Amino acid sequence: MSLISRRILLTASLLASVAFAPAAFAQDFDPNATIRIGSLYEPQNLDNTAGAGQGINEAFNGNVYEALFQLTDAGSVEPALVADYTVSEDGLTYTFTLKDGVTFHSGDPLTAADVKYSIERVTAETSKSSRKRSLSTITGIETPDDKTVVITLSARSISLPYNLSYVWIVNDAATDITATEDGTGPYTLEEWRRGSALALARFDGYWGTAPSNGEVIYTYFTDATALNNALLTNAVDVITSVQSPDSLAQFAGNPSFTVTEGASTTKELLAYNDRVAPFDNVQVRKALARAVDKARLLNSIWGDYGTLIGSFVPPTDPWYVDLTGVDAYDPDSAKAFLAEAGYPDGFTFTLDTPDYDPHPLVAQFLQTELAKVGVTVNINIITANEWYTKIYQEHNFEATLQEHVNHRDIVFYGNPDFYWGYNNPEVVKLIADSEAAGSIDEQTEKLTEANKIIAEDAASNWLYLYPQIVVSAANVSGYPVNGLNSQFFAYEIKKAN
Amino acid sequence: MTTLDVISPKRRSHGSVTLWAGLALVGLHIAIGLLTLVWTPYDPTGMSGGRLEAPSWLHWAGTDRLGRDFLTQIMVGSRIALIVGTGAVAIGAALGVTLGILAAFASKLLDDALAATLDILIAFPTLLIAMLVVAASDTANLASAIIAIGIALSAIVARLTRILVKRVLLMDFITAARTSGSSWPAIVFGHVLPNIWPTLSVNFALQFGLAVIAEASLSYLGLGAPPPNASWGRLLQEAQGTVYTAPIGAIAPGIALVSLVIGINLLADGLRDSIDPTRRAR
Repeated sequence: MSLISRRILLTASLLASVAFAPAAFAQDFDPNATIRIGSLYEPQNLDNTAGAGQGINEAFNGNVYEALFQLTDAGSVEPALVADYTVSEDGLTYTFTLKDGVTFHSGDPLTAADVKYSIERVTAETSKSSRKRSLSTITGIETPDDKTVVITLSARSISLPYNLSYVWIVNDAATDITATEDGTGPYTLEEWRRGSALALARFDGYWGTAPSNGEVIYTYFTDATALNNALLTNAVDVITSVQSPDSLAQFAGNPSFTVTEGASTTKELLAYNDRVAPFDNVQVRKALARAVDKARLLNSIWGDYGTLIGSFVPPTDPWYVDLTGVDAYDPDSAKAFLAEAGYPDGFTFTLDTPDYDPHPLVAQFLQTELAKVGVTVNINIITANEWYTKIYQEHNFEATLQEHVNHRDIVFYGNPDFYWGYNNPEVVKLIADSEAAGSIDEQTEKLTEANKIIAEDAASNWLYLYPQIVVSAANVSGYPVNGLNSQFFAYEIKKAN
Repeated sequence: MTTLDVISPKRRSHGSVTLWAGLALVGLHIAIGLLTLVWTPYDPTGMSGGRLEAPSWLHWAGTDRLGRDFLTQIMVGSRIALIVGTGAVAIGAALGVTLGILAAFASKLLDDALAATLDILIAFPTLLIAMLVVAASDTANLASAIIAIGIALSAIVARLTRILVKRVLLMDFITAARTSGSSWPAIVFGHVLPNIWPTLSVNFALQFGLAVIAEASLSYLGLGAPPPNASWGRLLQEAQGTVYTAPIGAIAPGIALVSLVIGINLLADGLRDSIDPTRRAR
């Protein structure tokens, strides 16, 4: 399938999921159905500030807990528990007004004190939240009345609403939520059987639109094959993310199942150490970007799935522009760039390759492709732990392969101390300024500019964007297709009668 | 070859069938391994076909995910398996025989200490010792895998050697050699080694099979020869995710591995039958 038609399909599926109105007009589905979701990511505990892992976001974000804002499946940030908010002229004071009529599952009403407690839970010394740093500009949280929260910042932070979408609003009366919960979402925790399943039941006191199903059970598997078999034998209704195209053969083309491809935010990249020769040379990096037939690579790893990207930004980030043409596949010009850079006969480098799929296969592909332009690649297989110490901490490498899963992570290119050591003062300034921007438009404009510059600089070699593939039984619909930030909203899932 | 006359006809024919079958299988792998030095159907790293093509006249065993010819990779795998087997057994033999002889000749205390150490080493699975050695070296490559497996094998060889040497040392002709003033190196090379050699060589053949399997296991775990070395273990590992859609990718290296190991075991069996004097007498 060509890239363009794939993108049109993608847009269509996005629109379909966004425009999906909870249908009240036709009761062709069972409003009390039990939806069984199969996943590989069991949470370690039930508290997202206590190192619970991505599984807790999948099960609880938007389902059991809500935040002041919600990152929707289409990638936009919408108010959730916030009715309205204002920002002061200098951008340093945010005043939030909370929605009326919101109660926790325990029956307590939502108050400003709960919001203050919830934010402080994430920024606390003991918090293990990966989002802690992004909230570090918060200097004070005031609660002038029960419905108003005033947050003051040390510096402008246009991403504050986005960052707050990661902060669960928890009842301040709940002290330990590692094995229980007290949120405001459409579901309550029914039962958690460690090692096997997590059951959520519809919360009848929910302030918003009631879920279109009665119960959701997340069933956890440690093995992808077992998970696929569970769907085949009707033990689960939906698989949240399929990890290889080859397991799809048994579902694609079978009318009993629906295979949906959404946009993930996981990028496979060949990251150079831009501090060291020859990768400190833009022409060398451009040459390597042009020497690799990425369409063929993507096909090798993902078959007909996945998307090519020309930079670090996936289509679901607001600052996405199609940059695949900047350094398109062109081995002849790659050789010319190498000659211009002073390497007419190529050079040799060591590629530190994590030992898990798909990196070793990608490394071999790169080795063969780069050999054609005279560049010799020595593949050095390392473990994930070695990657963390040798590359991420010590920056002791020439080039490496890594998958970057985060949403909105172009900001890494604004940090010259990041492992890949890309240091373009213009980009550093654009990214810093974007956070201090006065409006979303200005932020988007600056990050789009930064995005274009890193593409022109070929800061890294962005190989492809992973697909996000959800497979379900044919009678189940309404599930999120993109799963941004590992979220899997269950409240619109319907099971046909 | 007058000694052959004492073997019963039945025994001899059985011995030669296993020997010849073993020789044929091992010979086939050696021939393929040597052939890959000068010719392969395709460039081993060349992406000559499409993704996961089924077996065809162009690609007899199909292609892998990158479109590389599977048959070519399996042929190159023969060479790697033979190199690893030979290298590891050479290291294991050199270390093991030396240690075993030292232990047999040493004082009671040193002998006991060495014997205990060897017992402990043998208690660890070969693969586990090899993994420890690979983990201790900086990077995993073919040489580190060979050394690791060689070290793991040496414990088994040393224990066997120690027992064999001790038994030979009790023989009258050794006492005779000692009383006639032979130096101990002369005893070792002139009398001990020739006597234990038949048993040792059969054991080396068995160790060769173990080494081939250990290397495949290490490569399967990502601790053996780094890509793009077409080790059978790595081919199996890469085919794991596609075992339902392209089962040939897992079956073909599996057959190659099994045929070489069975061949070596048959060869060892046949060798034992034809050169072990105690078997010949029966």
